Amino acid sequence: MKPLAITGVGVCGAGLHDWMQATPVLDGTAPFEARAVDKFDLACLPPIERRRANETSRLAIVAALQAVEHVSIARRERLSTVFSSADGDTEVLAHLLAKLAASDIMLSPTLFHNSVFNAPAGYWSLGCKAQAASTTVCAGRASFAVGLCEASSQVLTTGEAVLYIAYDMPFPEALKRLGRTTMAFACALLLEPTGASEPGRFGMIEGWQREVGARETDAELQTLAETFAGNAAAAALPLLTAMAAQSASEICLPYLDDERLRLRYSPWS
Amino acid sequence: MTPLPLAAVTLTNACGVGLVEIRRALRAGTSGLRQNDFEPARGLDTWIGRVDGLESAALAPDCVAHDCRNNRLARLCLEQDGFVAAVDAARARYGERRIGVFIGTTTSGILSTELAYRSGSLTSGDASAPDDESKAGLSPELYRYKHSMYATTMFVRSYLNLSGYAMTVSTACSSSAKVFAAAARAIDAGLCDAAVVGGVDSLAMSTLFGFHSLELLSRRPCRPFASERDGISIGEGAGFALLDPRAESAVRLLGAGESADAYHMSSPHPEGAGAATAMRKALSSAGLAGRDIDYINLHGTASRANDLAEDRGVVSAVGKEPAASSTKGWTGHLLGAAGITEAVISALSLIDQWIPGTLNCERVDPALHSNLRVDSQSMRLRHVMSNSFGFGGSNCSLVFGLGQ
Repeated sequence: MKPLAITGVGVCGAGLHDWMQATPVLDGTAPFEARAVDKFDLACLPPIERRRANETSRLAIVAALQAVEHVSIARRERLSTVFSSADGDTEVLAHLLAKLAASDIMLSPTLFHNSVFNAPAGYWSLGCKAQAASTTVCAGRASFAVGLCEASSQVLTTGEAVLYIAYDMPFPEALKRLGRTTMAFACALLLEPTGASEPGRFGMIEGWQREVGARETDAELQTLAETFAGNAAAAALPLLTAMAAQSASEICLPYLDDERLRLRYSPWS
Repeated sequence: MTPLPLAAVTLTNACGVGLVEIRRALRAGTSGLRQNDFEPARGLDTWIGRVDGLESAALAPDCVAHDCRNNRLARLCLEQDGFVAAVDAARARYGERRIGVFIGTTTSGILSTELAYRSGSLTSGDASAPDDESKAGLSPELYRYKHSMYATTMFVRSYLNLSGYAMTVSTACSSSAKVFAAAARAIDAGLCDAAVVGGVDSLAMSTLFGFHSLELLSRRPCRPFASERDGISIGEGAGFALLDPRAESAVRLLGAGESADAYHMSSPHPEGAGAATAMRKALSSAGLAGRDIDYINLHGTASRANDLAEDRGVVSAVGKEPAASSTKGWTGHLLGAAGITEAVISALSLIDQWIPGTLNCERVDPALHSNLRVDSQSMRLRHVMSNSFGFGGSNCSLVFGLGQ
């Protein structure tokens, strides 16, 4: 695929409160302390939806809002979105399974509609009145890379900006045998065609090479990688680190099967 | 968009296994719906579209890790209509790494976890958590190969010996319509040269009891667009299409349009505004106007609000002229597999120059103004539209035309 510009970024995860606070942590100038994600209030949603929104929706929306901070409200409404997640909302899943195991099965309508995999996309469009195209994809541990490819293919085929959001959360106690994620993580990237955007924000990704072989973890990312082990969205960390440090880097993302996707990141100089 | 030939298609649902049986059921006006006899949801007073024999159709020993209701349904469908042979031929042409797999689903194999969790908590007597998770059969393998949202795509890709770009699209009931749009983009951007697109959704407790909680299940076979319509019937099904830019084929994908309602999580915009936007975008992507559409296969779920919203959207975006019908009276609402099922039925309509009517619709709701056809009939067709709308306000319309 052709090169793309990154013109906005957001992050929300355990110990990574937002992009401002995360930048020195990611570039190694501030220490990383893993701690539970803050409870965010989604002021952009109407009060009823604010109460109903599930945890993945909160995570995803908090990250997404940072990535479009500089974008006008009118333009947000027209912005297409791609969401990716490996596991969806594991907390909603645990509630759903417990209710379905009861002798008298009674689900709440809110629990059911929050259980759809595209719930964060639904709440995002409600919050931003965004009526543009939106999709939600999954590719297991390759979800971040595949979602990035899907978002990028949209940018390249339409010539328009696309907001890409990746999120995954821990498996709750009752489901801890299903997966090993223990920390929540979400990030968002605003992607645009190169040349169409104002330069000066972040940089460019290009290369897009599939390779055989698993991804090696960079030594300086070890603590972060261990904290977010199992969290497919956190595969974004090497890219976010390069963006925070404003350094040209080769980045490997976990891809389908045992492959990796190699990208080149170069900051606007 | 660049037209994309459908080089091969196949379908399996309660109306039949493979296209011969499904065409026969459509022609004869025979519904696949029956009174709920799905054991895990017994007691729910509703009608369902269940595919017979899945309970005993275990996958081969080398696929045992993937063995669940959704993957059994996927395999049963893949084995029909020479679909595997068509993919084999495409693989010989493009190579296994250059054919993408795009599958829509909402359930994947969640039923396996629902049943495992239930049996675990019943023995422990505590519904909030199974005491002994390993006794309940919950394991990383169960989750990865059966239940996770990617599990179905992983199985289809492995069954077809493909190792190209792949994804699950899960946007509720628009999932397997949106796979066409995702595949077209991926081919256009060079991520793959050809694509298998499809959808697989199987009966599960969460969907049956979930729609019940929203009071959306009819106690009778669903009656789309009828005055007396009172809810949906849930079914299960699978369908696949091979999109091959270099193939000669009878039917081509001409356009796709996607939009979001931004209105409510589980109710459609009352004027069908988001639906209309998706239809307009599909027309524009196909380079066509509303008057060029000869037939619309409606989403037509038979919920009171959905049919009304879709009708308004159709009238505003496409007009009152094109013939329209809903085939959900035959199949039930296949949720994540609805898009592919109705896309393939639309393709069959073009090939057969014949449209299915609207089963179970005895009296068309006079409040609805699109050109609904109750009776099946022969008709000259050049372009057809297929609509799919889902929770979260996710809308997708597709336009198909005859090949050249």
